[in-house]
Amino acid sequence: MEELFGISMTYIAAGCVAATALIFLFVAFIAWRNPVMFKNGLRNIPRRRAQTALIVVGLMLSTVIITAAFGTGDTMTHSITSEVFTMLGPVDEFIIWDTKLHPAAEDKQLIPLADVQKWRDEFKNDPDIHGFLPSVREVMPFYNQRTRLNFAFPRLVSSPTADLDRVWGRLKDVNGKRIELGANEIAVNEALADKTDTKPGDMVTIYYLDKPHDLTVKAVLPNTMVAGTTDTVVREGAALNYDFLTGLTGRQGMANAVGVSIDGTTRGGLDRSAQAAAKLKAAIAGTNFKVEESKRDAVKLAQLYGNIFTTLFVVIGLFSIAAGVLLIFLIFIMLAAERKPEMGMARAVGAKRRQIVESFLAEGMGYDLGSATVGLFVGVAVAAIMIAFVKYGAGDKLGLNLEFSVAARSLATAFCLGVITTFIVVFLASWRASRLNIVSAIRDLPESRPANPEAATAIGYLRGTLNGFVAFGFIVVSILGVLHFPDPPIAILCLIASIPGPWIAMLRNSNFGAPRGARKEGERLPSWPLILGGVTAVIGVGLVILASYGLALLVVRLTRDRKPSSMPTWLIVVGLLVPPLALVLAGLQDRGRPVAWSVGVGVVGLVSGVMLVQWGMDADRYFQFGLGASLIMLWAAVSLRYFHIHERLSFSVTSAALLVFWYLLPGGRLEWLFGKMDAGIEMFFLSGATLVTCGTFLVVYNADVILPVIERVGSRFGRIVPAVKTAVAYPLTSRFRTGLTIAMIGLIMFVLSMQSALNTNYAKVFSSDDALGGFDVRVMVNGNNRTGPILPAIAEGNATLPPAQQADLSKVVAAGEIRSASPFEVNIKDPLAPVSSPDKEWKQYYLLGADNAFLDAQRLPLQYRASGYADDGAVWQAVKSGVNLAVIPALLTVPQNEFNGPPTGIDSPLELDKSRTKAGFEPFKLTLRDPGSQKLTEITVIGQMSDSAATFWPGIMMTKTDLLTAFPDSKGQAFFLRLQKGTDATAYAKRVEAALVKASTDSLRKVIDDNMAVNRTFLNMFQGFLALGLIVGIAALGVIASRAVVERRQQIGMLRAIGYQRRMVQLSFLLESGFIASSGIVLGLALGLSFAWNLFTGGAVGSGSSTANVSFTVPWAQVLGVTAFALIASLVMTWLPARAASRVAVAEALRYE
Amino acid sequence: MLPNQTEDGSDVVIEARNVEKIYNTESVRVHALKGVSLQVRRGEMVAIMGPSGCGKTTLLNTLSGLDDFDAGLVLINGTDLSHLADDRKTEFRAHDMGFVFQTYNLLPVLSAVENVELPLIVSGTKPKAAREMALRALDLVHLRDRASARPAQLSGGQRQRVTIARALVNRPAIIWADEPTGALDSKTANEIMELIVDVNREEHQTCVLVTHDPKVAARCHRTIHMEDGEISHENTQAEMAALAAAH
Repeated sequence: MEELFGISMTYIAAGCVAATALIFLFVAFIAWRNPVMFKNGLRNIPRRRAQTALIVVGLMLSTVIITAAFGTGDTMTHSITSEVFTMLGPVDEFIIWDTKLHPAAEDKQLIPLADVQKWRDEFKNDPDIHGFLPSVREVMPFYNQRTRLNFAFPRLVSSPTADLDRVWGRLKDVNGKRIELGANEIAVNEALADKTDTKPGDMVTIYYLDKPHDLTVKAVLPNTMVAGTTDTVVREGAALNYDFLTGLTGRQGMANAVGVSIDGTTRGGLDRSAQAAAKLKAAIAGTNFKVEESKRDAVKLAQLYGNIFTTLFVVIGLFSIAAGVLLIFLIFIMLAAERKPEMGMARAVGAKRRQIVESFLAEGMGYDLGSATVGLFVGVAVAAIMIAFVKYGAGDKLGLNLEFSVAARSLATAFCLGVITTFIVVFLASWRASRLNIVSAIRDLPESRPANPEAATAIGYLRGTLNGFVAFGFIVVSILGVLHFPDPPIAILCLIASIPGPWIAMLRNSNFGAPRGARKEGERLPSWPLILGGVTAVIGVGLVILASYGLALLVVRLTRDRKPSSMPTWLIVVGLLVPPLALVLAGLQDRGRPVAWSVGVGVVGLVSGVMLVQWGMDADRYFQFGLGASLIMLWAAVSLRYFHIHERLSFSVTSAALLVFWYLLPGGRLEWLFGKMDAGIEMFFLSGATLVTCGTFLVVYNADVILPVIERVGSRFGRIVPAVKTAVAYPLTSRFRTGLTIAMIGLIMFVLSMQSALNTNYAKVFSSDDALGGFDVRVMVNGNNRTGPILPAIAEGNATLPPAQQADLSKVVAAGEIRSASPFEVNIKDPLAPVSSPDKEWKQYYLLGADNAFLDAQRLPLQYRASGYADDGAVWQAVKSGVNLAVIPALLTVPQNEFNGPPTGIDSPLELDKSRTKAGFEPFKLTLRDPGSQKLTEITVIGQMSDSAATFWPGIMMTKTDLLTAFPDSKGQAFFLRLQKGTDATAYAKRVEAALVKASTDSLRKVIDDNMAVNRTFLNMFQGFLALGLIVGIAALGVIASRAVVERRQQIGMLRAIGYQRRMVQLSFLLESGFIASSGIVLGLALGLSFAWNLFTGGAVGSGSSTANVSFTVPWAQVLGVTAFALIASLVMTWLPARAASRVAVAEALRYE
Repeated sequence: MLPNQTEDGSDVVIEARNVEKIYNTESVRVHALKGVSLQVRRGEMVAIMGPSGCGKTTLLNTLSGLDDFDAGLVLINGTDLSHLADDRKTEFRAHDMGFVFQTYNLLPVLSAVENVELPLIVSGTKPKAAREMALRALDLVHLRDRASARPAQLSGGQRQRVTIARALVNRPAIIWADEPTGALDSKTANEIMELIVDVNREEHQTCVLVTHDPKVAARCHRTIHMEDGEISHENTQAEMAALAAAH
């Protein structure tokens, strides 16, 4: 894995290690400066061992998730890279025919060995070119006479022995024994041997241009390029004697490709690939050939796959990481609450606020280090389990031999990210905890807030805005400006001017910022910014810190004694437009007057939101647009609350409005208003986070409407009434805790249920009978050995088989033929598409040519028909009877990205705009060109197939006649059979394959089921990964319950004193947790399932409307399974604290304070 | 004059015989009660006084069944609490005892009336009836108009009134009060004591209270003085009144 979110992992790792080193330095400095407070903090760790264990488990989850995500990415990269190295051996690059610049028929794309000899002489003493390995390749059907098993598409290869010796070394079998092939001998590779159960000594037959050739199997070779394996999709191949193969194919003195080794080793030449390629390109200039840096490209591709996997897991894991961060915050808020009297006492006896932060930080870092270390090991284990699960579940169908591997760099990054995340949250929680009123803290009373004379006034609102912008808003808005606007100098100037803002906000409340008379003697200037600036000066950041802090000191020094009693409204407005003036105005304010910081956050959110909405509309990106709109709603809620509109009303209305907005967003429902926009995988997280946040607000602010109903229901069960009464009362009074926990569980349940519902329904689309197109069996025929009409061919094959093994032709109801042209044989362009340069004009795509029997028999549903066609039948009839009319696949109009690409194997695929097809679209033309003859053909598109057709017919479909007229050399051939109802298609396919030795035959249903099995394995793994996040929510419940036992000890004593039985106390705790857990579960499920339904039926995923007519299915079994797990796990987690609560000694509890 | 007093002691509702209580921690062993014996008669109001750490609250907790003891016998209305299972003991408390604590111990998440009705709900009273009885109890302590207020919205005196209402609501035979005025100013403390005395007079409930304050003790029929885990001596109401006046 080399990149994450487009940023080099090296930079990420370096940044993380540097930040972690700074954190450790900072903590070491604290320990050195005040060892007593530091030790006091650390002593808290072993005080409550069970709670410590719970905290470490809660904190480690972020590290676990990041490590597991990195581990899967690294494994992908490592596995593919290993396979590439094994496959290509010492060969780094290939010289092949340049089909793009010199189109030619496939069998004409040959390189003379004389040219190879010329290059060999030219690079004789070149340090960057070790040797050349020319090879001839051809795909021919293979038939084992002993086992009667065949394979239609093995790649047979051969190289001159002398060249092989120079570059690769002599061929060796799987046991390492050297072999030499004679004229009628073949050495199969392991993949082909497995497929056809071939062993040395077997007699086999290969076919070339319908002519059989019997050979003896000499050995079984490893799957390498010299044994026919050149990719991981079709590995089956074999090596032949060079003279025999060239004689058979008429390619004497020729090669199809020339491998080039840079230094004769497997990995050594990779770094010199570009310079070697440059030399080779110079040498072949003016020829029809080109150089491909195959090994380097394959390694890059491996890294890309690794990046994609990591990104995918990190994005999915973001839900769990977000829940983890909420949990960390919750844990430390609760720890702070627990320690409040202690901290108050420490302050009373002389501890400074800073020392309270340091003590808390020491404790937090203890947990932090422990959890990051444990999390690293657990994360590696989780990744290993996931990989093992995929290997076990997908088996050979995966097409890749997964070897678990985690890079040291990934481990270091994951560890550091875990430490950094926890440190930031702990620091914020410590800072918040330190701002206590000593008396309130000692007596454990709620903090009192000074009355704000400007509350709910316009001037108070403006002052909140001014302070918000000075403290952070200008910086946020400037950064957005720099990132988005094409002409950012003003934004850069604003950014520079606003950097001292946060320092001014901090200094204004320090002793240094106090006016004359209010300043205390002996309290020094905050020195940590100077230390931080000094330490980081070497990397440049420190200079910015020092300069901005100096400027802030100057502003505060000049303004601290000048505090005008009032500030005109207009001046604040001007200040908001001119950042430097705003800094001065912030310094001039009366510091005793409370600031409405929430207003500051809200208005900064508003301005950022408006900028993001504009950015989203400019760049056609839903992410910025959706994020911006959500921030605007946040501002609305905050502002309404500020002006004393009831908090419940403010947050409920804005949350509901935002929910409506997010439900309208998918499927282009708001396109008429805001234009067309694109969405990426990041929307997955943004939509989930926003929906769950809104849902949580709605639940928390309206729970007092729901809970009495629950209480009334509970009152019907006489004995549990007291337990229900207290169970529903507590969550309502701790909205923050309750909301956080509901959000954590809700987030995970949202993504689990949404993913599960979408997968189930898309699987339904792709595995429905529509995907079969009305057929049961596919017969794929080797292009070099095409067959005539299929039924006579099967009958002919049947004649060679015993009656019991013959395919009963009476079971075939219909049969149709598809001829195909591969993307490399096809040039295609959209005449209306703008192109930047002529060489980018021509694209590639699969073309399918159906015969009349196929067109008559097929039942392929269309998602769109052109105007003038009443139904699907009319379209297919027109294709059949017209000339050059075509139906395109669904994928052709889906925007392509790394997660949603075209059919595999196309370098430069055609892509059409989504708007080109819709119900009743105007027929449009596409231009085709035969690369060999340069002949142009225009086809007219009159329909578009559904997504479901993509499995077996992923190309543009026209008639066979039209295809062969445009591309006479196209080789591909396949037949599709419809069988009588009740016929076992899998068994029938095997019989057809036995009869047609030059073809491979499959049951369509089995192919789909196999594909689904692989998909299911991956999806189950994703869901397992997501379910890690549930542990966060469940751990949160455990933390809350444990804390509640401590917090409510005296109340529990009282309850027991007035007659609560032990089991009633226990039940009360369990019901309370059950209520919170089920709120999160129901919220997540309701949002997840409804949003999945919205996406699915709205056509927002995939090609769109092909899903519109498919009924939405809720995967109840999975949903109920996860729900039951979450609920039971929550109750189990709460059971121990609940039991502890029930066992509280009454008399002791009543004395407890 | 004590109500319903008889020679054979049949009106004794609380009796302790040689009660011993020892607290054992890892490093310290505290002999909190050293063979305490006493009798409290029905309708009697008894104060327990003594210096900090002398065992007042421990005695109250062991007598009321909130805490176990190591030796001796405690009879409540003739029932030996030490032989009752926890569930039975809890039921006994729910039906026959009311508690008032110095720190009120109200549930902060429930309103005043909900706090008061809790013992009734625990005893199985129907919610509607429980609510009516709770409101009547709040009437008794002159807090009906604050029935829907949460404890945080009430003053210290009001909170203690709610606690008293909660202790009285199921008409228990005995009320246990641990420093009921300890957290209140003298005026409010006086009001609360007036309330407890009135209730005792009108409802004839037995009341045992722990206090530091001689003025509070002077409102009781009898005061038991403790010292170092033992009863040192007793004073009558008149003697206590004289002592309080001398203070």
